[in-house]
Amino acid sequence: MIFLIYMGMLKYTGFAGAGESVTDLFDQIPAGVKSILGIGELDVTTIAGYYAVFYLYFMLLAGAHAIMLGAIIISKEERDKTGDFLFSRPVSRSRIITSKLIAALLNIIVFNLTTLFASLVFINIYHKGPAITDIIIQLMVSLFILQLIFMVVGTGIASVTKNIKRATSISAGILLTTFLISAAIDLYDKIAFLKFITPFQYFPAGETITTGGYSPSYLIISFLLIITFVIITYRFTEKRDIYI
Amino acid sequence: MNVIEINQLSKYYGKARGIIDVSFDVQEGEIFGFIGPNGAGKSTTIRVLLALIYPSSGSARIFGQDCIKDGPEIRNYIGYLPAEVYYYDHMRVIDLLRYSASFYRKADKNRIYRLAEIMDLDLNRKIDDLSYGNKKKVGIIQGLIHQPRLIILDEPTSGLDPLIQQEFFNLIREENQNGATVLFSSHVLSEVQKLCSRVAIIKEGRIIGVEDIKALHNNNYKKFKIQLAETVSSDYFNIEGVADLTVDENNHTFLFKGDINQMIAKIHDHRISNLIVEEPALEEIFMHYYEREA
Repeated sequence: MIFLIYMGMLKYTGFAGAGESVTDLFDQIPAGVKSILGIGELDVTTIAGYYAVFYLYFMLLAGAHAIMLGAIIISKEERDKTGDFLFSRPVSRSRIITSKLIAALLNIIVFNLTTLFASLVFINIYHKGPAITDIIIQLMVSLFILQLIFMVVGTGIASVTKNIKRATSISAGILLTTFLISAAIDLYDKIAFLKFITPFQYFPAGETITTGGYSPSYLIISFLLIITFVIITYRFTEKRDIYI
Repeated sequence: MNVIEINQLSKYYGKARGIIDVSFDVQEGEIFGFIGPNGAGKSTTIRVLLALIYPSSGSARIFGQDCIKDGPEIRNYIGYLPAEVYYYDHMRVIDLLRYSASFYRKADKNRIYRLAEIMDLDLNRKIDDLSYGNKKKVGIIQGLIHQPRLIILDEPTSGLDPLIQQEFFNLIREENQNGATVLFSSHVLSEVQKLCSRVAIIKEGRIIGVEDIKALHNNNYKKFKIQLAETVSSDYFNIEGVADLTVDENNHTFLFKGDINQMIAKIHDHRISNLIVEEPALEEIFMHYYEREA
């Protein structure tokens, strides 16, 4: 992650130096291609615009990390056949799930803070203009919400899946599907109504940069999604038969 | 007092049978055998007792409390050795055992060293590097660290060499003398015979008998091998109390439970060329159980 940000900022120095000509060049790229690359209407010669392009890949990486983490942390006891050991201890299933959720939460917080600090440090090194710290922090908050959603979707899937080995592949499938839907929405305005089914569209970087806020309706949707999947995780894991 | 009370417990895996209407009690202070062939439902029963799986119907109580609802509380006093032992591969044995002990109020971590010495287990190795037998030892130790009042052993001896098996039996007897109740599941009769006072026999998901092992072994059955000098009908010896009758030409072999004089009278009516009456091995008694119920 740090390396990705580093390489990205290294390229930015080249971009920013070229100035106008880059803007011209980008204007010639068809809108569709730009959408797929995550560039859209952003001005990539400004540091914020440039960073926002990267942010798309941060979302993909962070989402993949979070959903896999969620799926694995719940399913690993059965996958590694350690479930007999853990679940025969004198603790309730819900306590085990709580501990696991806290561990996963800490994990995604570390992921998020690492991205935050790496971004701030490298932008500071390669960008000599006015600081965009508040934009970065705002984007990281959106990223954190995205991580939370995917994490609990992962734990939810792992608790519901009968054949535990499929939990991770289903999770990967969901991540890719939502990402592709998000890309499709960027391409065709007509399917914008699908936005609510893909967390990648809840807090798009462009909007965050231009308006500097979060859409309240998507905050509510995020909150409801997280609560729902947490409840699913507890309910289904508690009622689950543990096999080895 | 009953430590375990199992009441019409059933578990179906989808439509497939797990166990059907299993009921038996284990009294405080006894070593109770739970015997049956592989796949008969021993592990299923035990896994319900530990709330690893949920019963389809029926219930089980341990220390008078419901094994599902009060599971977390009663598991404080249970030591469990699963049939298949899997632990966190990257951990060292000592770390795994300390981790295990950390769950229990009553765990005395010094016991780890004593138990490891008895079982001859190197505590500094990684779980990943252990042989199956050594993992089994880890399983035995983690089940005993917290001095449980109830020890549940599911096929504990598979993978242990005979010397360690002996140490293990001594250890279990010692725990039993110190007040622990033991549920010992096995498909090997001789080890159940060595250790247990009573035994439940399970076959194809159903309990087909709960027997006092001494009574079963000493009193009830005699094995007859009779070679007659003349031919009689093949069901000549098929009187009440006879089981597992096989006839091969003039050789009649069967188990008999009942008035021995009655059998002697039957034999007396014919000329015989050879007669052997012996104690049947427990295996044969159980085989008879299995066949009769089949």
